[in-house]
Amino acid sequence: MTFPRLRTNALFARGLIVLLMIVTLLPFLSMLSAALAPSGSYPSGLEWPSDPAWGNFAKAWQVANMTELMTSSVLIVLGTVPAAVLFATMAGFGLAKLTTKRSAWFYLVFVIGLTLPFEAVITPLYFEVRELGLLNTRGAIILPLIGLYMPFSVFWMRAHFLSIPQDLSEASQLDGARRWQEFWMVQVPLARPAIMSLSILLFLWTWNQFLLPVVLVQEPTRRTMAGALGAFQGQWGTDIPLLCAGSLIILAPTVILFLIFQRQFVAALLQGAVKG
Amino acid sequence: MADLKLRGVRKAYGAADVIKGVDLDIAHGEFVVFVGPSGCGKSTLLRLIAGLEDITSGDIEIGGKLVNDVEARDRGVAMVFQSYALYPHMSVRDNVGFGLRLARVPKAERAKAVEEAARILQMEPLLDRKPAQLSGGQRQRVAIGRAIVRDPEVFLFDEPLSNLDAALRMDMRAELARLHQQLGATMIYVTHDQVEAMTLADKIVVLKDGEVQQIGAPMELYDHPANLFVAGFIGAPKMNLLEADVTSVDGATIRLGGADLTELTVTGAAGTLPARGEAVTLGIRPHDLIPAADGPLRPRIDLIERLGHETIIAGALPSGARLTAVLEARSPVRLDEEVPLSVAPGAARLFAASGEAVPLKAD
Repeated sequence: MTFPRLRTNALFARGLIVLLMIVTLLPFLSMLSAALAPSGSYPSGLEWPSDPAWGNFAKAWQVANMTELMTSSVLIVLGTVPAAVLFATMAGFGLAKLTTKRSAWFYLVFVIGLTLPFEAVITPLYFEVRELGLLNTRGAIILPLIGLYMPFSVFWMRAHFLSIPQDLSEASQLDGARRWQEFWMVQVPLARPAIMSLSILLFLWTWNQFLLPVVLVQEPTRRTMAGALGAFQGQWGTDIPLLCAGSLIILAPTVILFLIFQRQFVAALLQGAVKG
Repeated sequence: MADLKLRGVRKAYGAADVIKGVDLDIAHGEFVVFVGPSGCGKSTLLRLIAGLEDITSGDIEIGGKLVNDVEARDRGVAMVFQSYALYPHMSVRDNVGFGLRLARVPKAERAKAVEEAARILQMEPLLDRKPAQLSGGQRQRVAIGRAIVRDPEVFLFDEPLSNLDAALRMDMRAELARLHQQLGATMIYVTHDQVEAMTLADKIVVLKDGEVQQIGAPMELYDHPANLFVAGFIGAPKMNLLEADVTSVDGATIRLGGADLTELTVTGAAGTLPARGEAVTLGIRPHDLIPAADGPLRPRIDLIERLGHETIIAGALPSGARLTAVLEARSPVRLDEEVPLSVAPGAARLFAASGEAVPLKAD
């Protein structure tokens, strides 16, 4: 008698998944339908336009100066993510493997950082960045972001390094490795899944960064794409179809990245679930 | 290859003393086994020698060189871990050659050394595999190969066979013995398995609570355990340890009696003999008990294990103490029967109330 019951359960589970999918996808579909409405109109976002205005995307690209914005976003990501991942990996290794219990408080400092919202530091950050003379440059976004990412990134990498057996460290030392060699030749290759997933997360956060660029950089072409939405909106606030088209363009890279790396992403999340 | 000296080696974690002053000499080419129950400090002692932990006080010399403050990587030791500790992202070839790569040995030379180690351990077909693709025994081989290529002064093994199944363990044991002969290297081996200790060692170091109980050749420990702990730990089945009283001492002749024992006479050697009336412990190996109609020990048998080549019997003595004996394969014993047993000449061991062995004269 278990067979029919299993079937009902499976059907129920499938139904739930479909429901979740609809809830997730609906806003995007709504945005798409709005983006395809005639420029200057006020679409409800719930009906498919009779004459889809695909040209809105090209128009939004042009009007919002997307080529320059995309370049700026890429530069900011390249300035932020590799440096943040490198520092976090080294710090995570240090905190997991090189410190004794006596310096555990050091790690707590990073954990406290986790509780700190971006918004709470934005005002002091503004003055600091101004003192550094970086206001209105991409450095004003890159440097604070690296710092603000550290608590989570260090937490993430330390957790990974803690899961690596101590025996491997000791074996490499007996094999003649110095700490630095152990780090690069044994620990980092083993940390690849954690590094990959951290890189993807930091990319997403940087790409979608909105508050920092808007506050610290006046010149829209030096902001991230998402940050530029502010200016975009101000200029075209009444043109909802163009705004939606612009938003979808900005979303595209993150969606593409996720589709490419989803396998690694899921693998990274499952790491350690099964003994190797 | 080198000899090794430990002088008053102590290790404490905070207030907890783990190693309480160990003195030990290991000659060049010797196979030494540290054995003891879990928590006796044998693995810690090995890690102190490896340099993975700092000693609290004392001296460690390897090849005549004081290494107290020398980093693990510069001590010239190689270690095989219980968990094998292979690098999961490297092929077997790279795992074995990793130490040489760090030492900047030229590629051609490195390849040759790896091939040679693979030949010795008969694992040539495995060289291009990753550790995850190997069985437990194969991983163990790779771990040993990684130690061999470094051509260390001293090999250290930390319970290397405990993760293997029984049959494989026996094979690997034989292989380790062969390897020791072939390389002629100084090896220190940690185990809690006294069979491994007996079969592999030139010299066994028995540890308990961070203290050395006895150091000696396997048969020396088997025949002349220094105290009750060693007597009970070495040998399988375990030595029978029975309460007894000294009924009389006449010159060197000690007469024993007690609830479980009608009468037994042993001859003391030079040194202090127990006094009349003193409570002692009598130690008799199960293999040294012989059926005899007038035997002084009369256990009532409640267990018979016929192993084919011998028969193990066990039963209770009048006081309730247990006695185990190993008899001939086809001994006509039956359950619930009283079997009178006598002790083979010169086989009885005597331990004073302090637990220390009383020196006896071999008959």
